[in-house]
Formats: sequence, C-alpha cells, structure tokens
Amino acid sequence: MKLEMLNIVKSFGANDVLKDVNFSLEGGEVCALLGENGAGKSTLMNILGAVVKADSGKILIDGEEKHFLKPLDSLDSGIGFIHQDLNLINDLAVYENMFITHEIKKKNGLLDISAMCDRCREVFQRMDVDIDPKAMVRDLDASYKQIVEIARALMMEAKIIIMDEPTTSLTEPEIKRVFAMMETLKEQGVGMVFISHKLKEVIHICDRYAVLRDGDMVAEGAVKEITVNDLAKFMVGHEVRTESLQRKRELGEEVLRGENMSFQRCFKDVNFSVRAGEVLGFTGLLGDGRSELFRTVFGCNTDYRKGIFLNGKKVRVKNPKHALNLGIGYLPRDRKENGIIKDLNILENGTVVIWPKLVRRGLIHRSLQQKEFGEKVKGLRIKLEKSEDPITSLSGGNQQKVVLAKWLSANPKILILDNPTQGVDVGAKEDIYDIILDLADQGMAIVVLSSEAQEIIRVCDRALVMYHGEIMGEVSGEVMTEENIMRLATGGQVKQIGEGEHGRN
Amino acid sequence: MEGIKDRGMQFGGWFKYNWINNLLFSTAIILLVMLVLQAQALGFNYDSFGDWFAAWSRNLTNVLRNNAGIGIISLGMTFVIISGGIDLAVGSTLVAVGAAIMVLMDTGPKGLLGQMGITGFPAYVLAVIIGMGMGVVLGELTGLLITKGKIPPFIATLGTMQLFRSVTQHFMQGYNPSVPREFLPLASFRIGNLMLMPIIYWLIIAVVMYIVATRTVFGRQVYAIGSNERTARLSGINVIRVKRRVYALMGFLVSIAAIVQVARIGSMDYANAGSGYELDAIAAVIVGGTSFAGGKGSMVGTVLGVMIIAVMNNLLNLWGVPPFLREAFKGAIVIAAVLMQRKEKEL
Repeated sequence: MKLEMLNIVKSFGANDVLKDVNFSLEGGEVCALLGENGAGKSTLMNILGAVVKADSGKILIDGEEKHFLKPLDSLDSGIGFIHQDLNLINDLAVYENMFITHEIKKKNGLLDISAMCDRCREVFQRMDVDIDPKAMVRDLDASYKQIVEIARALMMEAKIIIMDEPTTSLTEPEIKRVFAMMETLKEQGVGMVFISHKLKEVIHICDRYAVLRDGDMVAEGAVKEITVNDLAKFMVGHEVRTESLQRKRELGEEVLRGENMSFQRCFKDVNFSVRAGEVLGFTGLLGDGRSELFRTVFGCNTDYRKGIFLNGKKVRVKNPKHALNLGIGYLPRDRKENGIIKDLNILENGTVVIWPKLVRRGLIHRSLQQKEFGEKVKGLRIKLEKSEDPITSLSGGNQQKVVLAKWLSANPKILILDNPTQGVDVGAKEDIYDIILDLADQGMAIVVLSSEAQEIIRVCDRALVMYHGEIMGEVSGEVMTEENIMRLATGGQVKQIGEGEHGRN
Repeated sequence: MEGIKDRGMQFGGWFKYNWINNLLFSTAIILLVMLVLQAQALGFNYDSFGDWFAAWSRNLTNVLRNNAGIGIISLGMTFVIISGGIDLAVGSTLVAVGAAIMVLMDTGPKGLLGQMGITGFPAYVLAVIIGMGMGVVLGELTGLLITKGKIPPFIATLGTMQLFRSVTQHFMQGYNPSVPREFLPLASFRIGNLMLMPIIYWLIIAVVMYIVATRTVFGRQVYAIGSNERTARLSGINVIRVKRRVYALMGFLVSIAAIVQVARIGSMDYANAGSGYELDAIAAVIVGGTSFAGGKGSMVGTVLGVMIIAVMNNLLNLWGVPPFLREAFKGAIVIAAVLMQRKEKEL
C-alpha cells in the first residue's frame, strides 16, 4: 500500500502550521517524521488520522483520492493512529480493549468472549508477541500497552501505522521489544510513520526521514546516508541563532543546590547549583524529568531522595507553602491549568500568594492590595483596563505577566520559571526575557526550564541538558548552541569547538 | 418626546443587559415577581391598608421565619459548594446537635446539666456553647474524612448523614426531654407583634458570611480552591486546612440552626427533623447562582435563593396547589435556574 499526502495546507487562525507539505510512505518501510515542537508534525498526522481537517491538499492511497471526515474513515482506509497518550482503558482486559466498539456477539446478543480472545491470539502471533488476551491492561508494562494498541490497529486491517513518540515513556528493554515488533511488521509489508525526538532511535529503526520546520518540509531522504548531527541541524535550521541577551554580572553566593536528587522514575542522581544573580537553564525533550525535578524543589513531591540545600543549609521542603516561606517562587508550566485561577479577577490572581500579608483587622486591605499589585503592573508593563476585570479578558502574554507578578509579590530569593513563554506572543516574550534578566541583575537566582533551545541560549548564563531524568551535560558560552543542546537532549555527546564540522551529507 | 423614548430604550437595554449578565439582578427580579404574586394571592379584601399590611407582613415573616434554619444552613452550604464539595449530613447534624442541647437542658430527672446542679440561665448558655462546639467537631470530622481520608465529599457525608441520625435516634429512644420555657424566647421573642428573632439571626449571619466570603483571606482562598485547586496549592494555599475549616464552619452554622429550631419549636422529632434540609439547602444555593462546579457564587445570591423557594412554597399554598405537587415546582425551579445560568455563559 502506498500513501501520498500532496500539497497539504493548514492554518489555525493567523498561524500557518503547514505550508504546502508533501509526504509519502511505501508499504514495508518506516519513515521518521522529525521536527521541533510546533513544527507541524502532529498536525500533519492528525490530518491523516482525520482528527483535524486540512484547508487544502489531497490524500491518495494507492493513487486513489480519499476524503476522511472522521477518525473511523481513516481507520477504514487502513490507517491506524497510535496516539502519544495511549488510548487504552486500564480497567478492562486486553481483549475488551482490542474489540471496543467492534465487539463480537453471539446469536443471543451476549458477548462471544472466546471468539474475541482467539482473534487476539491470532494477531499477537502474527506480531510475534506473547500477551494473554484476558490480562488486565492495568497490569501490562508501558511497552506491552503500546503493542496492544498496535495490535488493535492491525486487527482493523491497518496497513499504515502512525506512532506518535512511542518510546518517550518506555525504558531501554521495553524500547527494544517495540523495535523488534516493528521489524516483524516491516517484513509483513506494513508501513509505519515514526514520530520521535530521539535521533539515535531514528537512525536505528527507520529507513527514511522527513523533517518539518515551521510548516515546511525542509529535508527528506534515506536514513543510511545521514548522521544524528545532520538530523539535528535540519530540525533546527541554520540561521536561527539569534543574538544572546546575556549580560555580564557579578554572581553572588550559592542560593540553591540539589545533591543526588532522585524521585521515582522521574529523575535520578541530579546535581545542580545556582548562585544569586545567575540564570541557570534546564532543557531537554518532553518527559525528560526537569519539570518533576523543580516541582519537587517546590515541595510538590515529598518522598524524593537526597538533598536540597538552600543557602548551604539542607532543607526538606514539605509543601508549596513551605517553599514559599523559604523564599522559593515557582511559575509552573501550563498557565491555564496551573497558573491562573479563572474565577478570580486580575487583582486577586496577582496577589493570591500574599493575601495573608495584606490583612488589616481581619480583612484583606483593599487599597494595600491595589498598591502592591499596581507597582507590579507598572514594573512588568502589564496591559489591563481595570484590575477587577476577569483574568481571562487578558491576552496570554499579560496573563503570564500577572502570574509572574503573583510570584514577585512574595519577594522570592530564587525564582523557578517552567516554560515561561508558553503561549505568549513575540512582544511579550521579549518583555519576559527582559524581566528575567533585570531580576538577575537585582541578585535573584533564576532557573529557567524550557524545551526551546533558542530561549535557553538567549537568556541563560549556562544550561544543564536532561535526558530520561538524568543530566547529560552542561553547556555555556560558545558551546551553548542549538546543535549541542539537541545532541545532548537526544542522548548524545557535546561536540567541542574546532572538532570536525559536518559528517557525511 | 424623543428624549423619553430614548430613556425607554436605555432602560430596556439596561434591563436586558443585567438580566443576562448579572445573576444577582435576575434572581432578585424573580423574587420581586414572586412577592408581587404573593401579595396578589393574599387578596385585598381588608378594611384598611393597615389591616392589609398587617396580614401581609405576618404572612411574610411567617414564611421567612420557617425558613431561617434552612437559610442559615444554606449560607454554610454556599461555601461548601464553592470549595467544590457537598455536605449531605447537615440535616442529621442538626438532629444530633438539637438532641444534645435538649438533653443538656432537660428540666426532667435525666437532664444532664440539671443532674450537675446547673440550672436556669447558666445552663442555657452552657448548652448553647456545647451545642456549637459539637457542630464544629462533627463538621471537622467530615472535613478530616474528606481531606486526610481522601474520601469524595458526597460519599463521606452520605456516610456521616446516616451515622449521625441513626446514633441520635438510638440514644433518644423513648426519651422526650422537655425544653425549659425560659429558653424559648431565644426564638419567639416578639418585636412589635412579630416573631422576628430567627430572621434576625439569619440576616446577621448572612452579613457576616458576606464579609467573610468577599473580604477575608479564608473566604477568598475558598473561591481559589474551588476554581482551581492545583493552582491554589501551587500558590501556597494550605488546601487541606481551608477545606477542613469550610466543613467546620458548616457544622457550626448547622448547630446555630439547631439551637434556633429547638427554641422555636420546643421539641424535636428525631426521625424526621432536618431530613431533606440538605437537598433544600443545595437547591437554594443553586437557585442563588452558585456554580456546582465550584469557584463561583455569592452569599447574597443564596439569601435570595432561599427566599425564592420559600415564597414560592407559600405562593403554591395560597393558590391551593395540592401538597404532593409542590415539590415538583421546587424541582422545576432548580432546573430552570441552572438552565438560565447555562444560557448566560453561552451568550
């Protein structure tokens, strides 16, 4: 079976996500679809899976044009989509998950369990895996869940399987298991699209690659002709390095240090230290554990191992309130979920952490609250009409500034910013960078977590790169390039300056 | 001419805007309409305006007094629902606290305080204080089950609802304490010719609760938690402590309602007293515009909500609607209220 996507165009509002993209896949091959976050990979595959509709363009299967209106149409045409967040129901057995909405029934209307189990075994046999159809999905490890999803697609006669970052939540042996199964399917003529950030895996398992950047297909070809470094460069592009905003500044004493910190499967043996006036970056790919690490520092996970040191003294952070009292501020990722409180107005959102300090004679002192917040509005250049307006009336950038104001009002000594420019327009982004650098100039210790390498390069003095919960290396100065960061983030090594530039090309 | 017409347009526009966007406004208008209907239903066959007014105000104060207990409970329920929870145990807590107060004050041989030689005014004060303390403790117990025990509020309070009433019924089997007559003026003291005390308690508590909800750290933290618990925790709010206080406050207000009820009626039917209060209170809170999803709502709305349901019941009574059918109207108005709030959101 041959799949072609021709001249696909898609925009969300004013944002052009895909600009005239072509993509093709033959049966029996694995094609890697690469690109940074927001490059358009997911949108392209969502169009193929009929989750979203393209503005224009054609989808051909074996030369015949197809119109998909809903996900089921795409499945009926032989395209199976394995989403990143698995779509299995934990409390049902494997066979029930495999046959959900397609249950086999006996003549009397009851479910024909043995027939369904037999069908499952057939598929598993074909995939060369051994799973008991009656096992509960809850009891399977992540790789088998992945395999069950793939098996479900195969059972529906899928000839093309899209896998969206299938290995992010898997351990080494689990990844091997999934890869072995992919090889088996390849021999049987199934075509697969492999979306991943892990370039080493791409080289290992894929036959071809296609790289999207800002909605354009910028590179395509056979995997055996290229290296990890080439792929990283394609993803990032050549001309993207913008001027660094770093300023020379006197660093003070160490404010925060983590020693051999570990927490469940999220991160292990992490060491870092940040000084007053320093901007330390933490970067890596999705699921690298950096958010969990700093949520732990902020007191959200209490059963972590080894130490957090504040001003050289070991502390055990019990909860966010405790962290706040210790002088730690934390701007979480996902503003809508963790940053704003939508039923409170702008003023209240901006002052929620200092309410107890604003109390006079038992009540929150309104003019004091206005004064405190008014200063922040001026300092952060927040654009608003009335501070009693709903927080949701502000633009993303201004909402983020209000959340920032909330943390600054508590006068933290150390400020952790997780994805501070997420969903923020370009102007507000620059404002936020300025604010970060100003705060550092005033002697605040700042940790910036971001998966955008550019952002890290522009504002951070140095950065630690994480991969699978471990720190892979530190970059600073001239070594802090997008290529190096990408290489560390995908499990590779830093290339020192002067080392041979391109490999084969 | 044109000026007048313009003003008319402006009024129409202003009315429509507020009707759609201001929940308190529309709730108040509905209450007003009901009050007018109520006055109309009472009829105007009186000798003088004074007579009519006396009859009208007597009827209205009767209605409000009978609902003061629900009114007080609804104020606490507003906080519980804003925090994202629910409390089904208010009726049972009322019976438990009511029984305790009566046992304490009983003038008969089994009266607890009487046995200890405490009688008269000190006994009443002590009974009231212990009753309030008991309300707080029972509420705190619910709060602990929900926060530390991590039991969903619906389940936790479903359990305590049955627990409190059943235990009370068991211990009060065949025992009918008599409430001292001197205690009754707490509720039945007359101002002019009207028994206003329960209404006064209700309104004083409403004012206090309004201030707590809008101006205190605790009150605002309840809204923050109900709107987005995760962000609230990340903003350094001690979510567990605030939630426990919400249920303790609920218990406290229930105990006040119990005291008022004991003083008003002078006895208690342990099997039935307060049963259905939880649903009446929830209905009033919802009619008053508080969001069941939490984070949104107001004390003023709840006072209006209680009044709407109370006046509506009275109206149905005056109209001679058969008693079994009245509950249907209550149900319909709750559904209508929520539909109206939904509409407001979409516009």
